[in-house]
Amino acid sequence: MAPHADILALAVHRREDGAFELLVGQFEQQLFNYVYRLIQNVHDAQEVVQDTFLRAHKALTRQYDEPKCAALLVRPWLYRIARNLAMNKRRGLRAKIEQPLPPEEHVGFKPAVRPPTLLCSIETREELERLDRALATLPVEARELVFLRFIEEMSYADIAKTTGLGEAVLRGKVFRSLRQLRDTLASTEERSHAM
Amino acid sequence: MRCDSALIRLDELRAGELPASEAKQVREHLATCRECDEDRETFDALATKLPSLRCESPTSCVEAVKELCSHGYDVVESDARAVRVAFSSRGITRVSPTGVSETKFRDEYRERFGRELEARELPAALRTEVEKALRGERLKKADVDIDELPEFEQKVLRKLLEIPPGEVRTYAWVARETGSPAAVRAVGNACARNPVPFVVPCHRVVPTSGGVGNYGFGEAMKRELLAGEGVDIATIESMSKRGFRYVASSTTGIYCFPTCRDAKRIREENRVLVRDERDAEAKGLRACLHCRPLKRSA
Repeated sequence: MAPHADILALAVHRREDGAFELLVGQFEQQLFNYVYRLIQNVHDAQEVVQDTFLRAHKALTRQYDEPKCAALLVRPWLYRIARNLAMNKRRGLRAKIEQPLPPEEHVGFKPAVRPPTLLCSIETREELERLDRALATLPVEARELVFLRFIEEMSYADIAKTTGLGEAVLRGKVFRSLRQLRDTLASTEERSHAM
Repeated sequence: MRCDSALIRLDELRAGELPASEAKQVREHLATCRECDEDRETFDALATKLPSLRCESPTSCVEAVKELCSHGYDVVESDARAVRVAFSSRGITRVSPTGVSETKFRDEYRERFGRELEARELPAALRTEVEKALRGERLKKADVDIDELPEFEQKVLRKLLEIPPGEVRTYAWVARETGSPAAVRAVGNACARNPVPFVVPCHRVVPTSGGVGNYGFGEAMKRELLAGEGVDIATIESMSKRGFRYVASSTTGIYCFPTCRDAKRIREENRVLVRDERDAEAKGLRACLHCRPLKRSA
């Protein structure tokens, strides 16, 4: 998949028919997931994804020359654009979501976008929903890293390119984010048992 | 190996990304440290569950993005001239005389807006607007899509839309009205870069010093457009040659731009010529509320 995507960049640059649609189709869902984890709002996330592709199109067709397009690692590059745009959007909404949502607001929290869990048992589904809620209460950096590493299963090298952090730093941060998720999950489970 | 060095390597151990020697060390540590081994189990369990949290975007943006990346274009003709009009779903993005070749029009568009153009039919509402603009009629609203231009240029262009046909304002006026009174030259540049001439009437802006000033398609065309809209260029020019910028009414004590609709109603015997803002102040005149001529800065 990866080399295929990188070839697409060049195809878009050369304005080959349908190349850009392929690129959008291939990354749309991934980027939506990512941006949604960052800003936790479906509409804003969709808007950011759309703007990401507009930026990408502009860059590939207008700003980058051929060697640059040929050498481009499309996936982390797109993630990076999406990340920047999402952060701009967040800045606009800062007062509202800078803090992770307080736990009490999460009692009735339903993920706006349901994971495709229709096929699994009710217990698993409940468990996943709990996990989703726990993830949603983490600080944005932790959410981001958990998403990139464990949901999108990106390599550390690509996460480094996306976030601009060093790989060594990332290992520690990813570990601490996951631990935070575990602790949050454990504390919500305790609460639900206590009730 | 200590606990914390082992812990941060658990994830790579799970994914099999750890070099063999390090993996061996971590395994050795896990064999001796129960706490870390339990952590490994919970983390691995989390890592297997997390990918199921992937969700789906409720709608696809392929079509929307495609639409945004390529705009349509069409030709609009009126009695006086024909223009090529490019448009997005939000409105008119570019107007250019058909004198420019089609390929050049598309190349320039790609260069400036980063989008391909494909021949499509212009929506009827937009067509009517362009036709009206070409005839020099007043537009109730102008659906122009200029949201991607720099903010200042947008402000200037939106202000230009307020200048009615048959009237002209000065660059200094536009600068003041957009809240940047010193940016007179910048207003000139913004007008020069106007992607939607005719529809956004950049031809209705003239220099304070008199004359009609420059125009992207030549000064002659600017004169022709203004004359077509009923601007009496000869009178304004003879006024500015004698050093007068405004006219006032001796009955109301109000001064206006000479093309202001109120100025045109002043009777010959009550008409007073005003040199500039300082002169107006000295004569005790107040500025017209319709054309809002410049005031002497405090």
